[in-house]
Amino acid sequence: MRRLVLTAALLALASGCTKDDAQSTGGIIEPIPNPHQPGDFTPLPDPEVQDGSVGRAPRRLTVAQLDAAIVGAVGQRWSELDSRATSMGRADYALVVSENTEPNLVFAKFLEDGARKVCINQASAEMRMTDASARTMGRLLPEKWDDLTKLTDAEVRAQLVYMSTRFWGSPLSGEELTKWTTFFTQAAARVQTLASSKRHETLAVVCIAMLTDPRFITY
Amino acid sequence: MKKNRHDENGSQGCAHGRRTFLKATAGFMGSTLLGGLPFRAFAQAAEMAPADRCFVFVYFNGGWDQLLAFDPRDPTEFTADRASETKILPGYDQINDSRFESRPLIPAELPGVGRSNIDFGPAVGNELARHYDLMTVVRGINMNTLGHEVGYRYFLTGKMPIGSAARGSSTATEIVGQMKPRVPIASISYNVESYNDRYGGYANALRVSRRDDLILTLKGSTDMLDSEIEKQLLDFRGQPVNCEQAAYGARGLGTTYSNSQEQMRLIQSQGLDKSFDFLVGPNQPHSAEMAAIRTKYNLTSANDVNGERGRAATVATALKKGIAQCVTINLTGGLDTHFGSQLTQANNQRRGFDALAMLVKDLRESGHPAGGTFMDHTTIMVFSEFSRTPLINSSGGRDHHLSNSALLMGAGIKHNFVFGRSGDIGMAPGTFDLRNGASDPNGENILPEHVIATVLASAGLDYSITRVEPLRPILA
Repeated sequence: MRRLVLTAALLALASGCTKDDAQSTGGIIEPIPNPHQPGDFTPLPDPEVQDGSVGRAPRRLTVAQLDAAIVGAVGQRWSELDSRATSMGRADYALVVSENTEPNLVFAKFLEDGARKVCINQASAEMRMTDASARTMGRLLPEKWDDLTKLTDAEVRAQLVYMSTRFWGSPLSGEELTKWTTFFTQAAARVQTLASSKRHETLAVVCIAMLTDPRFITY
Repeated sequence: MKKNRHDENGSQGCAHGRRTFLKATAGFMGSTLLGGLPFRAFAQAAEMAPADRCFVFVYFNGGWDQLLAFDPRDPTEFTADRASETKILPGYDQINDSRFESRPLIPAELPGVGRSNIDFGPAVGNELARHYDLMTVVRGINMNTLGHEVGYRYFLTGKMPIGSAARGSSTATEIVGQMKPRVPIASISYNVESYNDRYGGYANALRVSRRDDLILTLKGSTDMLDSEIEKQLLDFRGQPVNCEQAAYGARGLGTTYSNSQEQMRLIQSQGLDKSFDFLVGPNQPHSAEMAAIRTKYNLTSANDVNGERGRAATVATALKKGIAQCVTINLTGGLDTHFGSQLTQANNQRRGFDALAMLVKDLRESGHPAGGTFMDHTTIMVFSEFSRTPLINSSGGRDHHLSNSALLMGAGIKHNFVFGRSGDIGMAPGTFDLRNGASDPNGENILPEHVIATVLASAGLDYSITRVEPLRPILA
């Protein structure tokens, strides 16, 4: 009896395999239905109607994003941001119920103020740090900043690539890197003619320029 | 590290467009021909002019007594003996101050204008009343509310709030939203709420609670680098943009930001913050100009500058310097006088009306670049959230009352004109044929939205948002 049951089971399995083989050799493959139907998703805008750009338009950072981005890029918080947040677009959900992300005059003005405040403070603090790894912006600068004009072109470029990656997530390259290098070198040369208390201004001015660049405030 | 690089073109492979080329050319030409002044700054300097049409919304905080302001009654007719019948007691005899008349004020006739068709309450005073030739007074407005926030927001937006939450945009926002002025700060709200429910951020008002906030926006940063490094930064920013910057600037955002930065530098280079430095000492470049403003507005101390007269001077400066097109201002307060004497209400109103008179006088005397005076290009609306009861309560004050009045002045408005009236019993809001202003038992109430629609229509703007027709007899 036991032998009979095993034989019957083997036969049943064999017949099942034979059936599958017959289906695949018949060449019929059921297509997987498209799970997305028209209306399930928003198609990307036609690049033709937006100057060849693909995808959504750039957006300005909200005030909360800006706050976090400044800390991430520069290494310190802009302490006055809260007092100017409403003017820069933060919604209070009492009188203003939507965040304003227009890069208007007031935003530009206050961002400039903030950039100067945090960049000058941070550059000044970093100048006093002899451990370069403890710095946020000037990590590739020498331990002592007696004379940044002594940096080689490659060292300046490396510093600027590091900073641009930190500030924008996008390293400088090509002609633009050359422009920034010239800008850095000019500032460093000027700083050499100033009192030693102004040595941090080379790093500060690059920081200000990067923080107020459209690439910093958009995503 | 907040974003990834997606632009594979790089700066090398980017074909510079016509706009970039023009910018570069313009920058070169500008720096060559204009003595180093950046071209775009030069181009924008030409735009730094007052708006062709300006608006001022003046709020009297607390609910004014319209018997003392724009809806007076003759005390010889509305006597205390008849108060139980008329439910109106002007109470002018209880003010007891020689600065206030004891009867409604009819200003002296101006040559070529004819006698005043408007009678004013004693608190208005002669200084403002003598500008009757530019005024329309709307009386008998039904506020439909006795709540401060509700009435205030109703008049700000022209829409009855939901509960106390405002609906719609402020009228100033509606105006700049439609007109898109090219002035640096389209709308300023001075100690007043502002709403925007359907326009881009460009129409948002700059909300300031005091003059110092405005100055902070206009003045340069206090954290400056060495002057030569500042110049290097300015030159660096003036260089033509590369492809990646252009990509982030695509479809408006970068252009708007760039224009905003240019405007900011232009404003700072012009030292517009100094235009509000009314108490500046001698030996400053703008001392003479500030001295003239101090004389005009009788400003002698910091208290004056932060008070009604200083606020009026701030409004005038913002308009005349081309900084703003619309200014909404909380000019005076202390009007919620449930207790105390009639003198308190009259005094507080008078401070506001005197300051308003100074503003109007200044705008009348100041020429507009487009011709005529600033008053020819400016519409002023003066309002409060509601009025006060026509009878005096047991505490000597007045409580909240439904019927209200408002003052319109200047451009687009008929002058020396009164529209509507409140009832002779209890100063109830009347019903009118709004097409001609005649009393009509089957007519309609005058509501704040009618006044707002009229202001919008006076400048040829779309008033459909108010869902009513303007008061056409008022339109010039």
